[in-house]
Amino acid sequence: MSESGAWVGIDLGTTNSACAVFDGERVQLVRNAQGGGLTPSVVRIDARGNVTVGARARRFLDGDPANTRAEFKRLMGTAQAIDFPAAKVSKRPEELAAEVLRSLREDVREQLGFLPERAVISVPALFELPQSAATSEAARLAGFERVELIQEPVASAIAAGWSAAESRGYWLVYDLGGGTFDASLLETQEGLLRVVGHDGDNFLGGRDFDWAVVDWAIAEFGKSGAKIDRANPAHGKVVRALKHAAEEAKIELARAGEAAIVLPGLDVDGEAVDVDLSLTRAQLEALCLPLVERSLAVCQRLLAAHGVGEGALERVVLVGGPTVMPLVRREVAARLRAPLGEGLDPMTLVAEGASIYAATAGLDARPRTAALAAAATRRLWIQHSAMSSDLTPHVVGRLLPGGSGPEPVTVRLTRADGLWASEPAALDTNSEGGFVIMVELIARRPNVFRVEAAAVDGTPVPVEPSTITIVQGLTVSDPPLSRTIGVALANDQVRVYFERGAPLPARRTFLHHTVESVAKGSAECALKIPIVQGELPEAHLCRLVGALTVRGDLVRESLPAGAPIELTIELDRGGRLSARALVPATGQVFEEVATLFVPEATPEVLAASREALAQRLSSLRSDAFRRGDRAAVDRLGGLERQLAEAARDAEAARGGDADAAQKARRALLEIDALLEEVERDKSWPELEQRARERMAAAASWVAEYGSPEEQRILAETAQAIERARATKDAVEIERQLRVVMNLANACYYRDPEAWARSFEHAAADAASATDQVRAHDLVKRGRAAIARNDRRELREVVEALWRLLPVDPAARRRGHDSGVR
Amino acid sequence: MSDADAHRELVENPFFVLGVEPGAARAVVEREGQKLLSMLEVGLSQAKTYATPLGTRVRTPELVRWALAELRQPERRLVHELWAATPVAASGDPVLDEKDACEAGWPEARVAYGWEPR
Repeated sequence: MSESGAWVGIDLGTTNSACAVFDGERVQLVRNAQGGGLTPSVVRIDARGNVTVGARARRFLDGDPANTRAEFKRLMGTAQAIDFPAAKVSKRPEELAAEVLRSLREDVREQLGFLPERAVISVPALFELPQSAATSEAARLAGFERVELIQEPVASAIAAGWSAAESRGYWLVYDLGGGTFDASLLETQEGLLRVVGHDGDNFLGGRDFDWAVVDWAIAEFGKSGAKIDRANPAHGKVVRALKHAAEEAKIELARAGEAAIVLPGLDVDGEAVDVDLSLTRAQLEALCLPLVERSLAVCQRLLAAHGVGEGALERVVLVGGPTVMPLVRREVAARLRAPLGEGLDPMTLVAEGASIYAATAGLDARPRTAALAAAATRRLWIQHSAMSSDLTPHVVGRLLPGGSGPEPVTVRLTRADGLWASEPAALDTNSEGGFVIMVELIARRPNVFRVEAAAVDGTPVPVEPSTITIVQGLTVSDPPLSRTIGVALANDQVRVYFERGAPLPARRTFLHHTVESVAKGSAECALKIPIVQGELPEAHLCRLVGALTVRGDLVRESLPAGAPIELTIELDRGGRLSARALVPATGQVFEEVATLFVPEATPEVLAASREALAQRLSSLRSDAFRRGDRAAVDRLGGLERQLAEAARDAEAARGGDADAAQKARRALLEIDALLEEVERDKSWPELEQRARERMAAAASWVAEYGSPEEQRILAETAQAIERARATKDAVEIERQLRVVMNLANACYYRDPEAWARSFEHAAADAASATDQVRAHDLVKRGRAAIARNDRRELREVVEALWRLLPVDPAARRRGHDSGVR
Repeated sequence: MSDADAHRELVENPFFVLGVEPGAARAVVEREGQKLLSMLEVGLSQAKTYATPLGTRVRTPELVRWALAELRQPERRLVHELWAATPVAASGDPVLDEKDACEAGWPEARVAYGWEPR
């Protein structure tokens, strides 16, 4: 292994996991004890509590499924306990993932002689925050000191980009894993790799291909009279055996034209029955084609969203085991009209990319050597890109206080090959002791530099660190956020903090106001600040991913309704969330973000949701028929099919398949959001009317008080609304109406009487205020301000009154019980 | 576009944030961005503020990352180039907060941009 560094990347997969090490020049796959590059993500715990991981555990998957667990990645972030009855223990999904990571760490030690302390672990691009948090927790349990998460498609692209010669243009990474599908659009230009956008399906993977075969096999088998039911827990063993056979048949059909599914002596309801079926490649492809089409629809949606036309892709990189299927390769190349990346291993590309990314993030996996705390050593704090496409990047640093010996006044960097050295940079004199040096790199290699400091008389001063390494290669742009994150408000709206695509890491602060008081000392009294993830403006249609709680028993002083709360949300590069709420009045900070799980999906809850959605769908469908709205009828037909699919998964959940339950939960949530869109479309005439009314009001205010620039913007907005009307794009009209509202408001409040009118409206509702005493006082202050013609004071009064007006309890319930506005 | 949005377009213009010319090559933008991130990380004070037509502003790592992300998108860069095509006030101005930024630094800016009547 190179002296310059060792960077470890791990692909923690649903079916298999892999680990790679990058030394600054080459990527090496880490072999496990069996000599394989892929370690099955399978954990077994026997009666004595012994834990076995990987291929050795996988052998027991059929014979002892109760104590041998696979595919727990799909349950990451849920509260689902996974039982091992023989050892009488239950494990969380992240504890099992930790076992896999621990095993991979040991493999690195076997191969390279050290136990890695830092690593980059890949996660699907569309993982929700609780799922990412669970992955970080798994790494911590496995003994890693520090990890960063990387989105799988970004890792694949880095690996493909590292091995490619000079390349420019758009790429698509088609990543079909065991349990998830991700499509990512990337652009390379001048060594910069940029993620343009993501799309995907968190519940589409190779495993669904296996289930399609299982369902076919059950149907075929049923023709002989015997009935196997996926929803029946008593048939669990038979179904597992069928699934295993289906998986093997699928692999065989990648090469052969026909494969047999033979399972003699299966116990179905106490009777021994034989399964003997023959599956051809054509049949397999017919069964899997709808799933492949579903993935291609995601790709096309992604390309359309970013204006990338057909045939504009430079190449498609295939990632994941299922992409070896001839059907997948053929359909992807044909439909996306782009060549497939050659010479890349779809099974290990993610781990390879993660290891290269570890270098860009400066996460050297080697254990830190004991500090060189020699008496005469000065310490420097040095910052630089660990990997860069730039041949002349900057190295920045400063002298840290402490240490002993002569004080350095200059710093110089000398490349280890001795062929380049910087001029000595003076440590700046304004007491910061900082320096900035531009270095020269050798292309596509790790460049080691000696750090040489000198005292005022030119004597060398030993410094720590004494060397730094910069790898010349790619510059990877900050990973983009895959889903919008915001705070649910008490009126069921969302205050967006970070838009989808925002570069990570990110931090933002907004001021909110409480909608009710929080009494000091009362444990029952708590104010919830829900953090949600999703693209829709209604909070209830977004997923709750975290919550801060301001508890009465913890506040230093009682908080009145309308009290300001300054909320800061922060996301790190891997999308991990932290938040802090500051109560400015007392200076108190609340930081404990409740660890949320992906909601549980019990069969009863799923059945009730499915029933409610079915009724809504049926009612919308009848209505669409009555109105003769063909487009709505077609759209609802599609939703009906999705609902039927979700119902099948919900049934499988009754059979104890927790993964199918999560899949059904997600599908039902998405159907809910789509029905909401149909309902919005149905109210199209009302929306058009509202648009006309708002435009008329805005035109009048903007004409009277708007600047020429504002008048121009209003005219452009009117045109945009017209265009949206022509394409019946309700979401775009709503977006443009928000611009119109902003413009109209800005102009309206320039009217000298505007705040007085708003005051009268607010004062009329003061009787329903959440804090009567304060509202009464504000009304008095407002009247006095009007009498003095003090508009600034009046504005403050009105805004304070608004904050005291009650929220609609039903809207608040929908808004995840938010306590802020 | 509201006053606040337009105000932000100017004071948070990525070219001002990164301290590069609107015509700067992509490599120069990246180099300066990475340099500023490193300088902010080690806490060098010369990186902590930047000049805009509306006065000096506080530079944060989040703002630098956002500016880099904006300039990596060709269509977004074009918009920012238009906004940045104006002389920048000399550095050394007092650091302004949101409220008084419009009332100092370049008092005529709002009129020049058409947000207030001439």
